[in-house]
Amino acid sequence: MIHFDEMACLLYLEGQLDPARSRELAAHVEECASCRDLLHALQHETIFLSSALTEDNEPMPARLIAGQTRSLPYWVWTLAFGAFAAGAYWFWIDGIGPWLDQLSNAGFGGTDMFSMILFSGAFWEGWSDMIDAMQIGALILLAIVAIAWIRRRLRRSVAVAVVMSALLFALALPQGASAADVRRGRAVLIPAGEVVHNDLIVAGPSVKIDGTVEGDLIAFTRNLTVTGHVTGDVIAFAGEIVIDGIVDGNVRVFSRSAVLQGNVGKNVTAFGNSVDLVSRANVGGGMIVFAAEAELDGKMQRDLLGMIGRTDLDGVIGGQAWLRGGNLTVGSTAEIRGPAMFEGPQQPVVESGAKLASPIQIEITQDVRRNRRSTARVVFRAIFSYVAALLVGILLLVIFPGFFRAVLRETAAIGLSIGVGSLALLCGIFLVIAGVLLLIFGAGAGVAGVLAYAPILYVAQVFVGAWLGNKIMGEPQAVTNAVIGRMAVGLLILHIARLIPVFGGLVGLATLLWGTGAVLLGFYRMSRVESAPSAPLAV
Amino acid sequence: MSPAEQAALQERIALAKAGNAEAWGELYREYAPAIFRFCRRAMPTREDAEDATMDIFIKVRQKLSQYDATRSFSAWLYAVAANHCWDLLRRRKLRQNLETGDVENMPLEHPDPGQLEKLVEHRTSQEVRRALDKLPARSRMALVLRYYSDMSYDDIAETLGVRRTFVGVVLLRARHQLREILEGQRSASLAAGGAA
Repeated sequence: MIHFDEMACLLYLEGQLDPARSRELAAHVEECASCRDLLHALQHETIFLSSALTEDNEPMPARLIAGQTRSLPYWVWTLAFGAFAAGAYWFWIDGIGPWLDQLSNAGFGGTDMFSMILFSGAFWEGWSDMIDAMQIGALILLAIVAIAWIRRRLRRSVAVAVVMSALLFALALPQGASAADVRRGRAVLIPAGEVVHNDLIVAGPSVKIDGTVEGDLIAFTRNLTVTGHVTGDVIAFAGEIVIDGIVDGNVRVFSRSAVLQGNVGKNVTAFGNSVDLVSRANVGGGMIVFAAEAELDGKMQRDLLGMIGRTDLDGVIGGQAWLRGGNLTVGSTAEIRGPAMFEGPQQPVVESGAKLASPIQIEITQDVRRNRRSTARVVFRAIFSYVAALLVGILLLVIFPGFFRAVLRETAAIGLSIGVGSLALLCGIFLVIAGVLLLIFGAGAGVAGVLAYAPILYVAQVFVGAWLGNKIMGEPQAVTNAVIGRMAVGLLILHIARLIPVFGGLVGLATLLWGTGAVLLGFYRMSRVESAPSAPLAV
Repeated sequence: MSPAEQAALQERIALAKAGNAEAWGELYREYAPAIFRFCRRAMPTREDAEDATMDIFIKVRQKLSQYDATRSFSAWLYAVAANHCWDLLRRRKLRQNLETGDVENMPLEHPDPGQLEKLVEHRTSQEVRRALDKLPARSRMALVLRYYSDMSYDDIAETLGVRRTFVGVVLLRARHQLREILEGQRSASLAAGGAA
């Protein structure tokens, strides 16, 4: 007797066998006990499977019962949009707007202006205003919405490809540093008569350029002296810098002391403790100076923009002057051919003989008014910071509930989270340094690198706050509103604690380390879940 | 479903298509638990299932105008859910070696009906669900589509992107894999009992 196999029996039970074969099988099982038993066993298995799968063994989660769609309540979107609009407006009015005005007044524009914003950005005082919690919050809101949008519309591989391509593009944007001539040593010397037909990157305790560099000069050194000729830009990070030769392009220097006594074809941007433009120096463009003290005895053809503690001006400014700082002395040999403005706590000293196109416009910053303003500002900032953090937390909870829960679980492992957070912060500091250095090779890459880390640091407080709220009010069931309530309480406590001097700083640091560690662990766990299909069900 | 119920459902669908939030709410309340259970069986974690349920209903609301009233609404809903979940799993590359060529060509051992009956008798529904979670994604999805959603072989073939004639093979292999896991659990529990 020929028996039917298991496949045929299954297809018969499922009604998938053709009629002739079905009849054949039905007739066969009437006589064959073995095939009949198999058919019955398969039938029982099917019933068992169906019943195990359709059994209603767990209730619907609260958030699925509550919401028919994932769309947020209108008030959340309105609030989010309002916060974003306010943040963007604030960012523009307090941050970008004045810069553009000043730079425009100073006669800088185009790519030059862009590079100056980037180069000066890290040291600019205005960051303290700009890095306002509300603004960061608003930007993160935008990022979250963008990520949610990308997640919905793009396949993961495509999204990863896009991000990686963007990063590569950012890295590739500036001219390839690999094409440059790189020299290292205890004392790097380009002797007079030697011509480097390329960009030159030098590193070492002492660098002296007596010859010619036909390209840019990028230096990392303790002492840099340029007595020769650089046809491109000079970009230098150094303890002391002396430019005594000719630079056809721009000079961008970050150094404790910078002495300019030669000729610079274009603009000078200098950050440091002291900046000295000696009387025989000539700058073809304008100057941007951030320094504790500056002596400007030489000549610049265009404008001066400075944030300087003490300024002695004895030279010539071909355009406008805008200065902010402690003291300003305009010597008898000084000449300012355009309008001049000074903002500081004291009246500037203008010696007789100084040639001014118009009287200096003076704005005295009053300490008392400043204090009052700053107190109000602290309170407003604290409130805005709290609201922004809460809003970001709500959005994270609603848009990425799985991620939120995963991170919250990790937050409970306090020691591990703080350990990971500390490690990450060390890496983060490295990242910031790398980012600043990357400014030389690629501003886009540097800024992107640093910005990628900032949201993680920011959302750290959300999870510590939610954990704290849970500890105080008890673990909520999976009800979103209850989680939000606990997060609101926890964040409020954290923000109030942060206002207390010293203690607040410690709380802030602990929150940062703890929350950052938890977020990173959360990312790690989520990635493990996705790559482990055989993880047991939490039934 | 009685003709009256069917008519009421079609009316709700028509209202929901026209933008009536209340009608949509009723549809959601009626079908969300089943779709959540479907996602719970098909996806690896509860969070994934919750997210998938949300996404499926957003999709359904957007695609409601494409629903053909001559077709069963629940079948259409399951088809959308199945495509969504399978797409997610495919993207995550959860399909492993077990699903590919080597295993497809592996001969299946003919089962002993007595053993199979015993296995069915001694295993609980919960154990089956746990075992299901250990299956490769395609096997699990095939079992869920067939024995939870009661989907036809044609629809299963379309969702999984396999030939229709291959659906039976996928199902049979999935059942064998499930039996192996359950047998393993049984041996382990017997060994543990013996040791105790």
